[in-house]
Amino acid sequence: MGAEHAAGVAMAPVLARAAGVSKRYIQRAPFSRRRFVVHALQDVDLAIQSGSVTALAGESGSGKSTLASCLAAMDRPDSGEIWFEGNEISHWTTRQLAPLRSRIQMVFQDSAGALNPRFSAAQVIEEPLEIQRLTSGAKSRTRACALMQEVGLSPDWADRSPLQLSGGQRQRLAIARAIALRPSLLILDESLSGLDLITQHEILRLLRDLQARHSLTYVLISHDLSLLAQIADYIAIIHRGRIVEQGSMRQILERPESDYTRELLGFACALESSWQRAQAGGQL
Amino acid sequence: MRFLERRLLHGVLLLAGVSVLCFLFTDLAPGNFFDEMKLNPQISPETVAALRAQYGMDRALPVRYALWVRSVLRGEWGFSFAYNMPVRGLLAARAQNTLLLTGTATALAWLIAVPLGVWMAYRPGSWTDRLGMGTTSVLLALPELVLVLALLAFAVRTHALPVGGMTSPSEGQGVWPRSLDLLAHLAIPAGTLVLAGLPLLIRHVRSAMLDVLHAPFIQAARGNGVAPARVLFRFALPAAANPLISLLGFSIGGLLGGSLLVEAVTGWPGLGPLLLEATMSRDLYIVIGTVMVSTFFLVAGNLLADALLVVFDPRVRTD
Amino acid sequence: MLHKWKVGAAVIFLGLVHAVIIFAGFLAPYEPITQHRELPFAPPMRLHFLDSQGHWHLHPFVCEPELRPGTFYEYDESCTRQYPVRWFVTGSQYRLAGMLASHTHLFGVDPPAQIFVLGTDNYGRDMFSRILYGGRVSLSAGLLAAAISLLLGALVGTISGFYGRWVDESFMRLAELFVVLPWLYLLLAVRAFLPLHITPLHAFFLVVAVIGTIGWARPARLVRGIVLSAKTRKYVLASRGFGASDSYILRRHVLPHTYGVLLTQAALLVPQYVIAEVTLSFFGLGLNEPLPSWGNLLSVLQQYNVLVSYWWMFAPALALVIVSFSYLLGADALQRKLQPASV
Repeated sequence: MGAEHAAGVAMAPVLARAAGVSKRYIQRAPFSRRRFVVHALQDVDLAIQSGSVTALAGESGSGKSTLASCLAAMDRPDSGEIWFEGNEISHWTTRQLAPLRSRIQMVFQDSAGALNPRFSAAQVIEEPLEIQRLTSGAKSRTRACALMQEVGLSPDWADRSPLQLSGGQRQRLAIARAIALRPSLLILDESLSGLDLITQHEILRLLRDLQARHSLTYVLISHDLSLLAQIADYIAIIHRGRIVEQGSMRQILERPESDYTRELLGFACALESSWQRAQAGGQL
Repeated sequence: MRFLERRLLHGVLLLAGVSVLCFLFTDLAPGNFFDEMKLNPQISPETVAALRAQYGMDRALPVRYALWVRSVLRGEWGFSFAYNMPVRGLLAARAQNTLLLTGTATALAWLIAVPLGVWMAYRPGSWTDRLGMGTTSVLLALPELVLVLALLAFAVRTHALPVGGMTSPSEGQGVWPRSLDLLAHLAIPAGTLVLAGLPLLIRHVRSAMLDVLHAPFIQAARGNGVAPARVLFRFALPAAANPLISLLGFSIGGLLGGSLLVEAVTGWPGLGPLLLEATMSRDLYIVIGTVMVSTFFLVAGNLLADALLVVFDPRVRTD
Repeated sequence: MLHKWKVGAAVIFLGLVHAVIIFAGFLAPYEPITQHRELPFAPPMRLHFLDSQGHWHLHPFVCEPELRPGTFYEYDESCTRQYPVRWFVTGSQYRLAGMLASHTHLFGVDPPAQIFVLGTDNYGRDMFSRILYGGRVSLSAGLLAAAISLLLGALVGTISGFYGRWVDESFMRLAELFVVLPWLYLLLAVRAFLPLHITPLHAFFLVVAVIGTIGWARPARLVRGIVLSAKTRKYVLASRGFGASDSYILRRHVLPHTYGVLLTQAALLVPQYVIAEVTLSFFGLGLNEPLPSWGNLLSVLQQYNVLVSYWWMFAPALALVIVSFSYLLGADALQRKLQPASV
């Protein structure tokens, strides 16, 4: 992550933004008067710059996935605004959001059942193409195989079930599916959690390649700061639904301002060496 | 206690729902029961008119339902056109007979199933276990109708037991001969019910015990040298009580509803043949009464099971 | 692999049994209503290979039953004349599956003899033929009723699980009502409020409809559970992210998971419903004379003398047991085969 890249990113236009977003969940047992209110997000401001890798770090239950859903227009905030490519989309209807679907995509955690086990690998990638009616039949298949190659999977595996692939290979498949529609924003929610370090490293390299090739913007969500340090330009720390601190990666790592950030940094092992390696000349 | 209250409310709602369902059916029924009654020379026109007024047959469905609910709460459960008497007395007598039959059969089935199931679970895969599982599979496949007919044929061929009815015609006999006679008549219907209900019971007991026997605390008890019988009955069985108590609740709940077929075929004078006749003769209030009474029993049985659960299983109380 | 074998065997066996539905006319030597008034309660005929002279015949033959003088319904065999069993004989006309007309029956004997493989009933009607035709009625009633229950259940379960909230709540409460009630009572209660005297065809469809509509609750609950858990899967969320419609998601991601459960439920429900129809007809509330059903074939056993003396009248019960048993085996094997597949 060289200095030129960092500078370039800082001057890029804002691709997506959350402004003053709040969301709460009310759980109510039917026919009972007890309610549980969960404040998932409280007054969150986050700007995502085009071409950057923005990290969202926090522990489980901090609201990161909720924010991701709102940014991806899969969920509506109770208050606040969501901006994407200059449009305020938080109140858009399904029909209005339809053309946006191909521009924002999500990649989930592997163990979350992100891939239908009854589909073949090719079918997994073809699905978005099929839904959006971009291609069909043999053309879909060709495109799927091409995408598989792009993410580093052998096209010979096109008929294999996801269950027959390893964790890292499944994530590659999920990434291939996500980029099939040529999105501009890709949100990765804990996509590297549960993978071994070597595989994580390889996937990060793949993500970097894809970003350069397709001008992608990433939002990377994780609880693992040492992982995020390897790739993110910006980072926002989220705790109990509030953004506790945000800024460039260097800023946060070198001069954390809030106690919570310091606590998180304290837990991240080998953070220094990760950071220094990343600084030492963009080699990943 | 919140748990029990909720279950009670649930039960009441269920009863109400069933009664509404019954009344909806009467509305869908073609023809007017009272027209048929008018044709019956045994019932005077005044009675007909009075009953029409009492049950509001000329008024809208919700009104009729409300009138029926009111009379039920007052203890009048309708009038039987075929028997020409109030439903309540009829139901009470028949229900007694049914309970005698099903109570005996249920108690017997449980008395056999629990030790057998425990024994089979204690030695899974042994030849007793396999024999037991095989027999239960065969019994499960046999429809109740076939069972009762087979038993009847056997009894008739061997002249071992009286066939049909509850008692033999007899007068002035003492308590002991009469009881024996009752038992003899009870044998076939109760036997059928036991054979029909045993397979599922045994399987449930066995699987509940199997689950428990693999628990660490059982291994610990065994390792500590506790005698096997003690392990089984003092430690394992109480732990397996949870699913078994629910099952007991279902058994109790089914006391009134599960013996229709057997009663009808063997001629045991219970609720079963009553409902059957009422269906044939379109005796509206008997049908409703019978369904309501057996549903009530079902609900009560489930509630009992829930109450027992609260007492015996501490996990349920944390709600 | 043992289980696969079992499923295959059960399926083949059931297929053969159900072939009766289509081929009843071909397999039965007589019409179910054909009476032989002079031979009521004739016992099953023995197939002879050895004749009175001690000659061995390749073709089996039957003898004539003769009423023992001075008795009701007791017969002796008189082998003065031997009637060889012929195969593929021409007999009365019937329709294969209600469509193709044909005269050929699998076996028969030359007139004036009769062949009663399973004896006759009180009107002298061939029990073997009646069981075949009755099987056709009872089995198809079971199949149709199961189809209704499963379709209804799947529909309700899908809507309930997919759209949730109050729709789900109300449907599931209703389902609880239906599951909790003793089914036979419910069946009778529903039957009580329907007209008693109707044409046989109407009766058939009525019985099927009644049995089918009562049993929707359990399949509905199972389907709802599957739909609920499938709905929350991330690949469904991803689908929505691609802009998929509800019907696409249901069709491609959710419903395929229900097929296994529905198949197992079918294997469990069909025998239950066949028994339900038999029970109803047994009590005269289902299908009545002259349409044969295993139920009304068995109801004659309620008469003491029949129960005691004419053991061949139990044959429909045996048929019922065979059907019940093979379905249970199949359901068991199916459950074990489908168990490992998870959503």
